[in-house]
Amino acid sequence: MRAVWAVFKREVSLYFRSPIAYAIAFALLVFLGFLFNGFVTQSNGQFPADATAIPGLITFLLFLIAPLLTMRLLAEETREGTLELLMTLPMSEGAFIIGKFLAAWFYYTVLLLLTVVYYFILQWIGVPDQGTAFGAYLGAWLYGGAVLALTMIWSAVTEDQVVAAFLGAATVLVLYIAENAAQAIASLQLTSDAMANFVRELGLQAHFGATLAQGIIRAEDILYFLFLIVAALFITTRIVETRRWRA
Amino acid sequence: MVGAFDWTERERFMIEVEHLTKRYGEFTALKGISFTANPGQVTGFLGPNGAGKTTTMRILTGFTPPSSGRAVVAGYDVFNQSMDVRKRVGYLPENVPLYRDMTARGFLHYMGEIRGVKNLRQKVDDVLARVALLDRAESRIRTLSKGMRQRVGLAQALLHDPEVLILDEPTIGLDPLQVLELRALVRELGRDHTLLFSTHILSEVEQVCDRVIIIDQGRIVASGSPFELRAELERGGRVLVRADAPADAVAALLGTVPGVALAEAANDGVVVTPVSAEVDPRPELARAVVQQGWRLIELRPVAVNLEEIFLELTRQEQADMSIADVAMVDVAETETTEL
Ligand SMILES: Nc1ncnc2c1ncn2[C@@H]1O[C@H](COP(=O)(O)OP(=O)(O)O)[C@@H](O)[C@H]1O
Ligand SMILES: [Mg+2]
Repeated sequence: MRAVWAVFKREVSLYFRSPIAYAIAFALLVFLGFLFNGFVTQSNGQFPADATAIPGLITFLLFLIAPLLTMRLLAEETREGTLELLMTLPMSEGAFIIGKFLAAWFYYTVLLLLTVVYYFILQWIGVPDQGTAFGAYLGAWLYGGAVLALTMIWSAVTEDQVVAAFLGAATVLVLYIAENAAQAIASLQLTSDAMANFVRELGLQAHFGATLAQGIIRAEDILYFLFLIVAALFITTRIVETRRWRA
Repeated sequence: MVGAFDWTERERFMIEVEHLTKRYGEFTALKGISFTANPGQVTGFLGPNGAGKTTTMRILTGFTPPSSGRAVVAGYDVFNQSMDVRKRVGYLPENVPLYRDMTARGFLHYMGEIRGVKNLRQKVDDVLARVALLDRAESRIRTLSKGMRQRVGLAQALLHDPEVLILDEPTIGLDPLQVLELRALVRELGRDHTLLFSTHILSEVEQVCDRVIIIDQGRIVASGSPFELRAELERGGRVLVRADAPADAVAALLGTVPGVALAEAANDGVVVTPVSAEVDPRPELARAVVQQGWRLIELRPVAVNLEEIFLELTRQEQADMSIADVAMVDVAETETTEL
């Protein structure tokens, strides 16, 4: 625990000093600001204020945000050789990786909380549904955690940050379009719906778009994201361990 | 000496290595090495690049497991009790990996937090003072000289008062003055730690170590005190003779001296090859030169650096000499040392 906290603190302070992290925050907020502005002026108060659009957009953008936030985490330690130093301290790989992951998730949480400002603006011009907004934000938070954990795997696999980011983005996109793949499979009508459903359930959208983003909070969706986090952290741990054993 | 450790052994050897091997796929980097290191001594690990020094140290620090064999550090098995070993070992890896964007103090603080060092602020100040870096404590590591970075790495290894210090080629890449400073520090630290340090520089082990273990191609080829070792390596080795007479004449004379197999004029003197490794021809050579009425200018082993000594070792091996005869064995210490 002590080690997790030490690693977490260092990584968080790095995020708040990192130009990339600020660039991501800036780009995200500007981009969302434009979209939000267009969305509000177009609807012109005629539609019920929709508080789920922003968290929904963020989950889509995570295929870019997450790899950029996690690519450095382990690749740099491997490349610089500091991993050798850390892995001769009385600290398990697990503690080290959890500390790093929690720091990334924490930074993302701060980003997400910054966008809550749009919810308050909506409240000012209309009456957004509170429950739906809560579900959507909870979903976007868990979704982010899962995607950060997944992209972090690549940072352990390669010491090249660009490669890690690229593979991370590809992984997230594949899981994102599982929904569309499932539709394609269903439309072929070659197999029963079981196959299409399976592919669909594997994907990220099935556990967010139609459920949490609509304010429907289901245990299975929350468990899906938590499972992804645990599984991804486990895989990352094993990769670092294997790397160490081969050194 | 396979089996459980008893307390007395634990007291005697801080590091005990038995039949350690490490394979990387087909390649075997360590071929069953065994050695021990004692508290209050600096044990030097001497070998050319690729000998297996770093691999051994990585196993001793718990970074990587051995393929077979066993190593006990501070009374704990490096594989099964890795965390107990890590708590008691300070390690300076080769090339000194550090977080270059952190300050020296920030880095040490981070390492200490992970280790759970008590009174950390005070400890950080202490080790910074010990390596004479207090005045640069707030500088980013990237702005420090190589020698200073080396000392930051050393401070990190000292932070938790470890019983065992393992330093992998700490003087590599330093300028001569920094090398001298670092050697002095290593000698000092050796008094109250079990200190294992590696180098490929022969003169360095002579200056710093109480005991030397020579490793080559994953095998220990010799061990002993630096003094014994040099004497042993020089015995039977080729000798360079210079006298104030024409080299050809000197060579002709020395060729007739008992115990000499060959005397050849080389560019800066005469190189004499003894008939066997058991023979030290130097006394007879000196006598012959002086009796001839010449003045002896120089009489020294050809091998003066590690590369030459290894050449000599292999040459002697080819001269049908078993490696075990070259190896210096301090009998008291080597029940477990296989050669
Ligand atoms: N991770 C690795 N994979 C494959 N071979 C390795 C690895 N690490 C070291 N080696 C090989 O093992 C041998 C010993 O290396 P090392 O312990 O680094 O030597 P030294 O530190 O004495 O220079 C070398 O031939 C090196 O190429
Ligand atoms: Mg080395």
